[in-house]
Amino acid sequence: MVKIYGFESCGWCAKCKAYLQSKGVEYEFHDIELNPEDAEACEKLTGDTAVPVITADDKNYVLGFDKAKIDELLGL
Amino acid sequence: MAKKNLHKDVVIIGAGMAGLTAALYCGRMNLDTLVLESGLIGGQIANAVSIENYPGFVSVSGSDLISTLQKQAENFGAVVDEFDVIEKVTLTSTPKIVETEEHIYECDVVIIASGMNRRKLPLPEEKKFAGRGVHYCELCDGHMYKDKIIAVMGGGNAAVDAANFLTKYTNKLYLIHRSEFRADEFSQKRIKENSKVEIMLQTEIKKLHGDKRLENIDILDKKTGEMKNIAVDGIFVNIGVEPNTKLFKGQVNMSESGRIIAGEDCKTNIDGVFAAGDVREKVIRQLTTAAADGTTAALLAEKYLAKLKA
Repeated sequence: MVKIYGFESCGWCAKCKAYLQSKGVEYEFHDIELNPEDAEACEKLTGDTAVPVITADDKNYVLGFDKAKIDELLGL
Repeated sequence: MAKKNLHKDVVIIGAGMAGLTAALYCGRMNLDTLVLESGLIGGQIANAVSIENYPGFVSVSGSDLISTLQKQAENFGAVVDEFDVIEKVTLTSTPKIVETEEHIYECDVVIIASGMNRRKLPLPEEKKFAGRGVHYCELCDGHMYKDKIIAVMGGGNAAVDAANFLTKYTNKLYLIHRSEFRADEFSQKRIKENSKVEIMLQTEIKKLHGDKRLENIDILDKKTGEMKNIAVDGIFVNIGVEPNTKLFKGQVNMSESGRIIAGEDCKTNIDGVFAAGDVREKVIRQLTTAAADGTTAALLAEKYLAKLKA
């Protein structure tokens, strides 16, 4: 399952969600402001808590809304 | 994949206040209207925490204001596409061409409402620390600095409001600006009363230091000539904006600052091409004047189209 790390009031996180929806990709949204364990997992993955972060395998990820990189990561 | 050819009455470039207001009016006049936005819908106000100078609202967040405006425009038939990025624009042909990653749009009117981008921190270390201590969005990245030391760079309203907002995360914030305040009196009063903020005017950031992340910065007190090093975990840069007009260079007339030259009627030097909002060279750039420009451009676009089709 594709995961997006972000938080509700983050505009770029919203754009990531909208983009995956437009492509019919199902995802889980992990709110790093509400859930400390999600913030920890995000930091473990990227070394930071900058968001949005998209990952499908908890190893490779894209930080920020970068359409080309997201397409490549998810094979869109 | 071959690009799809489509015709539109009006293509609006940019979905900030000016672009979406133009879309609302074009939609209401039953024009086939497309809005293209490659950044955040809302542009500069997308991440504004609280807007207190837009008539009719005591306080409204940028995202609430802009999502309502987007809904208004869409209710009247305008389409907003935030994923199909523009590659090339030909404004001098008939029809005009807006080529995106997926489409070739032929259109009779183009309204340029592409707004402004935040100016980057002009230091060679910026690239190294971008996202790792140097930030441009308080709302997006402020949470990373809970109980850490933050600096905000800039002296205008945006910088001062950002500084006030960020004190919800930190107890120690430096507001650093190379000259005197440009923020309005109300914002200045509010920041001066904020005990978490140390204001450093006539001060320049000269160098950033850190291993993997930003750790400290060199600052120059311009009044005394003294150079100091202070510990800072994150800098939020608010040192102004620059026009987003690269796509139109060599086609529409621009001022030295790169803004598009158009009068109060928003008409550029090319028939059927209008400029609206902060991207237009003008004296006052406010949300209200962006909305006014969007209105003017849409109403005159409709007149232009009516003449064209007569």
